[in-house]
Amino acid sequence: MEEEGIEKLVMNYLKKKGFKQAELAFQEELQQQSQPNSTSNSLSDPDIAKLVLSFNESESGPPSYHEGYSKLRSWAYSSLDLYKHELLRVLYPVFAHCFMDLISLGYLQEARAFFNSFRDDHVMMHGGDLMKLESVLSPSHLEEMEFAHYLRHTKANIKMCQYSYDLLLQYLQKTQLTTMLGIINEHINFKVSPGQPRSISDDVGVDILFTAEDANQISAKEIQWGLLEDSLEDRLEKAGTSLFEPERADGENKEPDVDESKKKSTEGSKQNASVKKSKKDKTVGSGGKAMLPEVNTVCVAPRVKPELTLPVMSAEVEQSILEDLRNRVQLTSTALPSVSFYTFINTHNKLNCSSISQDGSLVAGGFSDSSVKVWDMAKAGQQTATSGMQGENDTSNGELGMGTNNRKRSYTLLQGHSGPVHSTTFSPLGDFILSSSADSTIRLWSTKLNTNLVCYKGHNYPVWDVKFSPVGHYFASSSHDRTARVWSMDRIQPLRIMAGHLSDVDCVQWHPNCNYIATGSSDKTVRMWDVSSGECVRIFIGHRSMILSLAISPEGRYMASGDEDGTIMLWDLATGRCLTPLMGHTSCVWTLSFSCEGSLLASGSADCSVKLWDVTRSTKLPRSEEKSGSTSRLRSLKTLPTKSTPVYTLQFSRRNLLFAAGSLSKIG
Amino acid sequence: MSIVPKETIEVIAQSIGISNLSADAALALAPDVEYRMREIMQEAVKCMRHSRRTVLTADDVDSALKLKNVEPIYGFASGGPLRFRKAIGHKDLFYLEDKDIDIKDVIDAPLPKAPLDTAVLCHWLAIEGVQPAIPENAPVQVISAPSDGKIQQQKDDKLPVDIKLPVRHVLSRELQLYFEKITELAVRNSESILFKEALVSLATDSGLHPLVPYFTCFIADEVSRGLNDLPLLLALMRVVRSLLLNAHINIEPYLHQLMPAVVTCIVAKRLGKRLSDNHWELREFAANLVASICRRFGQVYTTLQTRLTKQLVNAFLNPSHSLPTHYGAIQGLSALGSNLVRLLILPNLEQYVRLLEPEMLLEQQKNKMKRYEAWHVYGALLRACGQFVHNRFKILPPLHSSGRTLMRTGARVITSGANKRKMTSENSDHLRSSKRTAIDGPITAVAPSSLQEVTTNSTLRVDSSAVPSPSSGPTPSNNGAVVGVESEAEDRDGGASTTASNSSRLNPRLSTTIEHIWKDDFDSGNLLVTLSELFGSHWKKRIMKSVLETHDECISYSMNLMISRRASLRSWASHGWTPQLAH
Repeated sequence: MEEEGIEKLVMNYLKKKGFKQAELAFQEELQQQSQPNSTSNSLSDPDIAKLVLSFNESESGPPSYHEGYSKLRSWAYSSLDLYKHELLRVLYPVFAHCFMDLISLGYLQEARAFFNSFRDDHVMMHGGDLMKLESVLSPSHLEEMEFAHYLRHTKANIKMCQYSYDLLLQYLQKTQLTTMLGIINEHINFKVSPGQPRSISDDVGVDILFTAEDANQISAKEIQWGLLEDSLEDRLEKAGTSLFEPERADGENKEPDVDESKKKSTEGSKQNASVKKSKKDKTVGSGGKAMLPEVNTVCVAPRVKPELTLPVMSAEVEQSILEDLRNRVQLTSTALPSVSFYTFINTHNKLNCSSISQDGSLVAGGFSDSSVKVWDMAKAGQQTATSGMQGENDTSNGELGMGTNNRKRSYTLLQGHSGPVHSTTFSPLGDFILSSSADSTIRLWSTKLNTNLVCYKGHNYPVWDVKFSPVGHYFASSSHDRTARVWSMDRIQPLRIMAGHLSDVDCVQWHPNCNYIATGSSDKTVRMWDVSSGECVRIFIGHRSMILSLAISPEGRYMASGDEDGTIMLWDLATGRCLTPLMGHTSCVWTLSFSCEGSLLASGSADCSVKLWDVTRSTKLPRSEEKSGSTSRLRSLKTLPTKSTPVYTLQFSRRNLLFAAGSLSKIG
Repeated sequence: MSIVPKETIEVIAQSIGISNLSADAALALAPDVEYRMREIMQEAVKCMRHSRRTVLTADDVDSALKLKNVEPIYGFASGGPLRFRKAIGHKDLFYLEDKDIDIKDVIDAPLPKAPLDTAVLCHWLAIEGVQPAIPENAPVQVISAPSDGKIQQQKDDKLPVDIKLPVRHVLSRELQLYFEKITELAVRNSESILFKEALVSLATDSGLHPLVPYFTCFIADEVSRGLNDLPLLLALMRVVRSLLLNAHINIEPYLHQLMPAVVTCIVAKRLGKRLSDNHWELREFAANLVASICRRFGQVYTTLQTRLTKQLVNAFLNPSHSLPTHYGAIQGLSALGSNLVRLLILPNLEQYVRLLEPEMLLEQQKNKMKRYEAWHVYGALLRACGQFVHNRFKILPPLHSSGRTLMRTGARVITSGANKRKMTSENSDHLRSSKRTAIDGPITAVAPSSLQEVTTNSTLRVDSSAVPSPSSGPTPSNNGAVVGVESEAEDRDGGASTTASNSSRLNPRLSTTIEHIWKDDFDSGNLLVTLSELFGSHWKKRIMKSVLETHDECISYSMNLMISRRASLRSWASHGWTPQLAH
């Protein structure tokens, strides 16, 4: 009877797999055998029979997945504490593949049931992915959906220690969870390390390991994060501190009266005056002290050669920058910056983005009605100085009406796009504006002529972000078409196309030495690309939702990235590892900016606040310290709440005055 | 399996003209529809993020559809959020409310105003890390330890050590000056116009938050120090009120410091130096203040009201406390709402009045001052109960949905009541002034005239509104609710018949409706009768004596107070004492 059973199984198997020839041969042979002696065949090992049976059972469908997974899960949860976290990590890929297997086998009902019964385990860590997976409802979707496709064709990397690995294999073999074993063999790539299991705190960086290329392998490439040779900062230092000190003393003497007049003049935002104000540095002693190590670090930073041909800077511009650098306020954790806030009012929820020029005198806003509007704050300050007086008594009415009271518009209207404008950026000198739009074009505008100069077509889908390089001339853009592109102002075709992200590229940022760009994407990774070769040189994995903002520190060593959930991560570019997550914001981090000497990081968020973070302490802390949660509180220096105004953009001027902009949103 | 049921697919198919869609096709389509919908929503969320928003709008969905090369859905682009209604009988079914609009209305409507143009304003969010207190900035939160108060020292082994320094709170010079000026005014010159200006400034200025702890501290100190300086206390309470009025100040964290001071001003044993000081007014002011605090912070600070009530009830029920304390407690409780009156005063009323009675009578309490105080307490009690009854009546008419006529008459009654109250308030003002003279000056000379005035006043009122019908005569022994109902109804009848000529037709209905209401609220009927009994019996005695008493104006004050309540109150007042007056 047993024999017959096996025969039947074999037949079934062959039929199912479509081995027609083999099936026929088998049948023939069977008939031949059945006639002479059936005893010789009964030698079959009962073990084999069992195995074959179990194999057949496991093939038999959904229950095996459900059962197998729930067994594995309960085993993992009841395993030894020391190895538990490593074993638990295996569950998610197994879960995802179980679900997709069920779908691809056509057991849709069962797949959904399976998904719903176990989804709660993973919601916290992989909420976004689950949403995507949940929408897979037929085998064809598996092929169509990028995420599922990607999961199917790549292996998850899981690091675990030798012992956990052995435990897992033993368990799977002993309990004959062949389905699970199959999935684990097929889709998980174990990196077995000898010795003790890794500590939980390491999980942060190695959380989601579905990467196409091996992130570590990529990170092994050398990256030259140093500043450019012969930069202005260098020249300033060479010119000697002798120049610096008298300048500074002068500034100190001048500032009190400037200060007084400043306060009276309705906070008009003329850059010169406001910078002088911000220069008011009460703690002269501490400022001087703080400067010394700062100078050292700058010297320590290696110098690299530019890989792009850089535009030549005119002598006047150079002079003015040098002047700014001399007058820069030293910011430390105790000397916080002054923040000048530009509030957009009456935007009717149409403001999509804003940007502020390097010196803070120009403010641009991109609107969903396809227009770009540019305000000259230096001029506006003069106008309001006269008309603002009566507005002061009756703040809300007076100020809101001000825009309309002037017969002329207070801004320059730039029209040309045919879709919502998603990003604007000023050239370093403030003479050009670039805007990117949902109409898949990027337009270059002149602030002098107030007209459109060039329209760059190349992207196929909405362009989410565009950024001028720190030296001007070049710019980078990122788009829904999953590419980032590097352009130069004089060509209408892109110079480089960076492809590799698995979803929209949401933001882009230049490295200060212009040799690299960083891109943040909806696939929750940040990548760094070499501009000259177009290669991906770093992948930063760790965020749990779409990345919205990026900033690279001025000395080129660190990068900060902010995501949808309000988490900010600080990365070391050289090693590609996360130094520390900065928790504090409760909503989208729209913008990040490093202060000019890199000691502070400012972040602006949809939770209506600007936060200042101490970078030096965040980076210096040894990793072992980070486990105690209290330290992350210390890194946040200050929270500056705004009056129901989400902060869209932040910009440190060369003199370390922080400019912020946001659109006043009505409450309720 | 899919969240889109196959019936939905069938309905959609029919709506686009496919009538013979097979069930299998619908089943196969449903999951795909769900997948596409999720895909579109995912793109829409991306569009939302790139528009720097946190709320998904119809525009985002439209642009997501455009991304997928699908025709966007028209007709939802209006700015406002969409209002979804729940379909009755279905748990998870929502629909958009689509009101019919008359084209005429649209045409006739004036042209909408042009929207204001976008503008950019500039202000300092922070100056060297410190937020200036200007209207453009969010109100400063509770003053916490500034971050520079915590200095981290980097030791040689690079271990950060937290050293918590005492919190140093930086106040600008201007604020310091402002504080000094205001406090000086409050202490020295609280009658001046300047102080009134100062109060306005306290109630409106936005940058005062840093000063709040100093003000609360100052108030608490001054109250405990200056209990016998009445003008000072009044000035301080005014400062408290202004601070409470200021919308830019978050005073909640400092309430624990403020409350004792204010409560002291309600229930203190003695306030003011001289006996003639009008501390009653202060107590009333403070009681209203406390009530407003409770109303505003009751939700946030849940124990506030219970603690306060406990304190007041203790003051009220402890016979060893002085009468002014009792007065304050009663005022405080009645200011906190009629519910408290019902729960805390009414059950103890009978006992209390029994205790109070001997104090009020000439033969038993020889001390004129004590008697005077007792009458004040009595007045406060009357007022509390009256207010309670009044509130009861105020909520009754709307209960009745069918009686439109009743509503109309009710409205009339109320308006007349309002007029009356105005009259009485004038009257009582007059009385109060006369009272002052009565106490200070020669009593006999003033008393008769004022009394006369009062009696004429009250009789006038009685004539105009509450003509006592024979059945509502002096029958205090009846203590069923029905009596209350009858007397009430008849009283209204009487009022109605004298004022409205055609009201006779309405009367039966009116009385039945009122009866109905009374049945609804049996308690009130009982209560009214007990009240009328309680006060009425005393009133009789009092009336007899008070004519001869020197404190007559006090009673008439209370009387007026009673009269001034609405028709309801008048009814029970008349029930008790009007007949006597007519004698």
